[in-house]
Amino acid sequence: MAASMRLLVRRAVRLSHRNITLTAAGAAARSGCCRGPSVCRCFSDEAEDRSTHFGFETVSETEKAKRVYKVFENVAQKYDIMNDAMSLGIHRVWKDALLHVMHPQPGAQLLDVAGGTGDIAFRFLEYIRLQEERQKRRAARSSQTPSWQDISNNYSTEDESRESRAVVCDINKEMLKVGKQKADSLGVSAGLSWVVGDAEELPFDDDQFDIYTIAFGIRNVTHIDQALQEALRVLKPGGRFMCLEFSKVNNPILSSIYDAYSFQMIPVIGEVIAGDWKSYQYLVESIRKFPNQEEFKGMIEDAGFYCVKYYNLTGGVVALHSGFKL
Amino acid sequence: KQSCLMGFASHKVLKIVAAPSAVNPQCSNLNRGFHRAALRLQDESKSDKPPSSSSSSSSSSTTYHEHYQATEHDTAAEASQHDSASDPAAEQPERPNTSYQDQSGEHGEEYETEEQLQSRILTAALEFVPLHGWSMEAIAAGAETLGLSSASTGMFYNGAGDLVLHFIAHCNSQLTEILAEQHKQVQLGQAEPKKTADFLREAVETRLRMYIPYIETWPQAMSILLLPHNIPDSLKHLSSMVDDIWYYAGDRSTDMNWYTKRAVLTGIYNTTELVMLQDSSPDFQDTWSFLDNRIQDVVNMASSAKQVESRKNPNLICGLET
Repeated sequence: MAASMRLLVRRAVRLSHRNITLTAAGAAARSGCCRGPSVCRCFSDEAEDRSTHFGFETVSETEKAKRVYKVFENVAQKYDIMNDAMSLGIHRVWKDALLHVMHPQPGAQLLDVAGGTGDIAFRFLEYIRLQEERQKRRAARSSQTPSWQDISNNYSTEDESRESRAVVCDINKEMLKVGKQKADSLGVSAGLSWVVGDAEELPFDDDQFDIYTIAFGIRNVTHIDQALQEALRVLKPGGRFMCLEFSKVNNPILSSIYDAYSFQMIPVIGEVIAGDWKSYQYLVESIRKFPNQEEFKGMIEDAGFYCVKYYNLTGGVVALHSGFKL
Repeated sequence: KQSCLMGFASHKVLKIVAAPSAVNPQCSNLNRGFHRAALRLQDESKSDKPPSSSSSSSSSSTTYHEHYQATEHDTAAEASQHDSASDPAAEQPERPNTSYQDQSGEHGEEYETEEQLQSRILTAALEFVPLHGWSMEAIAAGAETLGLSSASTGMFYNGAGDLVLHFIAHCNSQLTEILAEQHKQVQLGQAEPKKTADFLREAVETRLRMYIPYIETWPQAMSILLLPHNIPDSLKHLSSMVDDIWYYAGDRSTDMNWYTKRAVLTGIYNTTELVMLQDSSPDFQDTWSFLDNRIQDVVNMASSAKQVESRKNPNLICGLET
């Protein structure tokens, strides 16, 4: 009894100690975080069981994939509500900004990886629909008396083969299920597909898609460089890679507010609304472990993308990276 | 010895180049760097500059190092580190990927920078302007003719403005070529030097005729050029064009005349352009006669100004004498 009490006390002390030191040193650890896993890799005993970070914990790579899967399995039902609660609805602005920067042309094929509940795909299809309506209106206005060319164009059925399509790919079946339900309730079905797949090994042929997006998903991928290489593979020449992800806030005042909000408020909201403290603790920790804007830009360039650029949204809370396969 | 070395180099290169499509895009950076280095070697061997290739056939690393330095001016600025001499080819300006390369059919193509690729897309987009206007749709259609996805239009952050400015720059460089050619003809004595008024008239007419294929959509282009974020660039293009015309007209003035001459010509050019927009006469005859009249006005003004000056002076002299 006494022994178990001592064990409990020791574990409580260790946990609280870890929380305090790690949250305080979170920012400092960030700079070394990218090299951390590789150092651990050198020192690990088994060749295949390399370790990486899961939030602020260190776990093996296979373990990380499993735990990430479990996290999203747990949160899938309440994912959208939690997004609204945690970001105070600003996540909608971020996703709209992604679409505006993307400015897809009618006929574009989108692959949304880690697309889960389909937010980006729905916005994409809506944007294209509005574009096409605007084009039709402009064409109708400019040609009151259609020329023979316009008439022949209307008769041609070329447009059918170039309908825009959005494919939502996610490793987690629960998230896709929620997304499909949302699609059904919104009445969106044309041009939308749901595929189960791993970002590090996409089940698609080469040169398939015009645009590849991954919104708030790439920090959960175990091997980010592999995911980037897969993105390069499935994109058509001239295709665009776009990544929306939480990133580093440079402004110190904003940063301290953001840190306080992340570590004090978000797990509490998670517990209250979704009944899951640990998943949301993982969420905020994984944000801190992700490389900053410049480092991630370097990683994208290393994978082989060109014209890589990033935009800071909300002061750096979220960064939108974009690169082209040329 | 040199030829057999070159032969050896090209033989090696051919073996590597023979399987570019087999190169897995997922292979490491080093592999890619090697692939590009191999293509660079082939470039060297194909070039007909014996002195440079002789010095570079000594060792493989110096080959692409020198070639890299030779094409330094075209290097894309966005590549971050340019230091490692061991793998300089990896930091080279980008090259279209293998499938795109197969479309163009040539393996020994020069490396092109992002700017060159962008200008190629914009040039291809110009033929879609009558259909789509000066817009992103035209750029998307242009990109597709080059085999690139329509998503590559995202590279043009200024959108339609990029297309219009590219076209203007293209027209200006064409005009400069024509004027330089005429100037050379005069220097060689093969052509008569023209009077200033005639020279200006012909230069402005030549330049405005370049708009004729796009005259339907030109009002849209002009409105794009007047957007606040485009004004600095469009003014820059306009002023450099006017400067070029005056330079080839023989103006070497260094006083206030430099400014007045360019201001006058800018005024003539802009008003003629506006007249051209709503001109419906055959071959724009009305526009050219308007241009004639404006230039005549300026000539008259200049000569009457001179008359006033010369009439003023005698009075002064009289005043001084008495």
